[in-house]
Amino acid sequence: MKLMRAGDSHEIEAEVISRDGTTIRVRIGDRELAAEFTPNADGGGILAIAGRRYPVFSARRKDSIFVSVGPTSFEFKPAEVAARRRARGLAAAEIIAPMPGKVLKVLVRDGDLVEAGQALVVIEAMKMETTLAAESAAMVKQVRVEEGQTVDHGAVLIELSPPPASTARESAPRAD
Amino acid sequence: MGRPLKKLLVANRGEIALRIIRSARLFGLKTVAVYSAADAQSAHVGAADEAIAIGPAEAAKSYLDIAAIIAAAKQSGADAIHPGYGFLSERPEFAQAVADARMVFVGPRPAVMAALGDKVAARRIAIAARVPVVPGIETAEISAAREFATVAGYPILIKAAASGGGRGMRVVAEAAQLEGALEAAAREAAAAFGDGRIFIEKYLAHPRHIEIQILGDEHGAVVALAERDCSIQRRHQKIIEESPAPGLSDKMRAKMIDAALNLARAANYTNVGTVEFLVEGHNFYFLEVNARLQVEHPVTEMRFGCDLVCEQLKIASGGKVAEPPAPRGAAIECRINAEDPEHDFRPATGTVLHLSVPGGPGVRFDSHMTRGAEVTPWYDGLLGKLVCYGANREEARGRLVNALGELALLGVTNNAAYLRDIVATEQFRDARLSTHFIDEFFSAWKIDAAEIDSAIVAAAITATDPQTENAAPRTGTDPPSPWDALHNFELWGSRR
Repeated sequence: MKLMRAGDSHEIEAEVISRDGTTIRVRIGDRELAAEFTPNADGGGILAIAGRRYPVFSARRKDSIFVSVGPTSFEFKPAEVAARRRARGLAAAEIIAPMPGKVLKVLVRDGDLVEAGQALVVIEAMKMETTLAAESAAMVKQVRVEEGQTVDHGAVLIELSPPPASTARESAPRAD
Repeated sequence: MGRPLKKLLVANRGEIALRIIRSARLFGLKTVAVYSAADAQSAHVGAADEAIAIGPAEAAKSYLDIAAIIAAAKQSGADAIHPGYGFLSERPEFAQAVADARMVFVGPRPAVMAALGDKVAARRIAIAARVPVVPGIETAEISAAREFATVAGYPILIKAAASGGGRGMRVVAEAAQLEGALEAAAREAAAAFGDGRIFIEKYLAHPRHIEIQILGDEHGAVVALAERDCSIQRRHQKIIEESPAPGLSDKMRAKMIDAALNLARAANYTNVGTVEFLVEGHNFYFLEVNARLQVEHPVTEMRFGCDLVCEQLKIASGGKVAEPPAPRGAAIECRINAEDPEHDFRPATGTVLHLSVPGGPGVRFDSHMTRGAEVTPWYDGLLGKLVCYGANREEARGRLVNALGELALLGVTNNAAYLRDIVATEQFRDARLSTHFIDEFFSAWKIDAAEIDSAIVAAAITATDPQTENAAPRTGTDPPSPWDALHNFELWGSRR
């Protein structure tokens, strides 16, 4: 199974190899981990790995698997969901609203060539301005929003296409 | 008391609404909650004696709608309104509207709020009261800004004249960034406060943020309840606050308290308020007055064994403030926010799928979170405040590290682990505090690799667990309910 952490473009291969009572073997990439899981009455449990014990809770909701390890919160998504949004040669084919908010500024126009890290659109959500930038070099295929417009979580703000070959740069997706 | 109150409307939401309702009940008042459409199931609504819907989710049409709130107060027969912090708490026109409706506003008088809420006017009052200030000017004009910056020297700080809590603040390191920053600050100021005026000042290189809690009554008495050190900030937002300020000499503390009291007297201040200072070396500079209850007020309550909301209600009833007892021990608070510390602190939303609340001696958790609570994008992301008391700072710190370790809030990405790791650092232990603490010591935070492994193991188990996979498909045509989300909560389905 391939998982991705929310907000991360890095795929994680994870697989339960065996489960015998409380003893669980899990493969993560090319590593194999032995864990002991003891359920608690509160719906979570204690996960013991490499001599350390962690209180963990986990639940599925919509596309996500939420996990807490002590106070640390995680959100995982199956990699297929994230992969759907990818296009060849681009880190991301679409600039998506990370949450509902208002579009304050659109900084590019259809047909613009943009570089990795270049600011594309500024949105305001939860009283904060957030600038969304290109993750790789690209051409702006279509700007789908206007300044002042209110957008929902997941709304496509800008569509990108691969840059024309002559201007394409060796530009890997940024490692978050 | 001169003006006995009977029923209090709380014009706020979240943890602070809940906290105010608790004290109002203790004070013997009936309580009225107001709520937006997004908060119908929020904790403060259930905690009050009655609750009134005031509008849609957008704050501008609910928690910021003065007419709607006054109408709710009249409808409920409330005789007083507590504004909490944020929203309308520092709007003089709201305090005036409350007075015009013949109700008591739990806070300073409108004219005092107007004078102190405006950074420029507040600065004038401070200068007149001989309180030291940072060099600065009010202008949104690029030419005037350039001139000031050239004389004062970069870096400079740009902020909204009407701001509080760091919103709309920007540091400008060099001349080339000035124009863009000025424009963005004005835009943010207009959006957040409905007031686009801008204040520019010299940016102190390595200051601490230390503030004095004040209390004033209508009979002219003003007292101070010591200080809070709120130096640990991220993008000008406080995230950890404590009292006493580590290493602050008694002499310096006394000077700062004197300055705060002089300012309060000069402004005819009533009710609770906070005078904020920047401290660098042996100098301190007036920053602003927050003419309201502060987010971090529990830090002071823990040391003085008092209830500042009850004090507010006493003052609003015409009562007198008493000389405070000597403070004891140390208290540290941290703000649990719905944000992703691994991804540039992007705001997070979601449904709380599980909540473990820390406990033990000296541990206080002020929060409106419950299992099933929705964290929406409509309001700020404060999920709760974890405050620990100890006989000394080290004991308070130890308790806070433990308490943060016990906290679990599943379903809404938050900064609890980030805060735990800050409080556990030797730099925090050694109180190497400045407003640049995060940049200097803690800019490259990562989740512990072993915790990530544990999370992946838990996710893999959950993903492959047949019982969770098939759990709780909704049947029939019932409308979706928040409880559906929790059906599949029995996650370790194959437990034996």
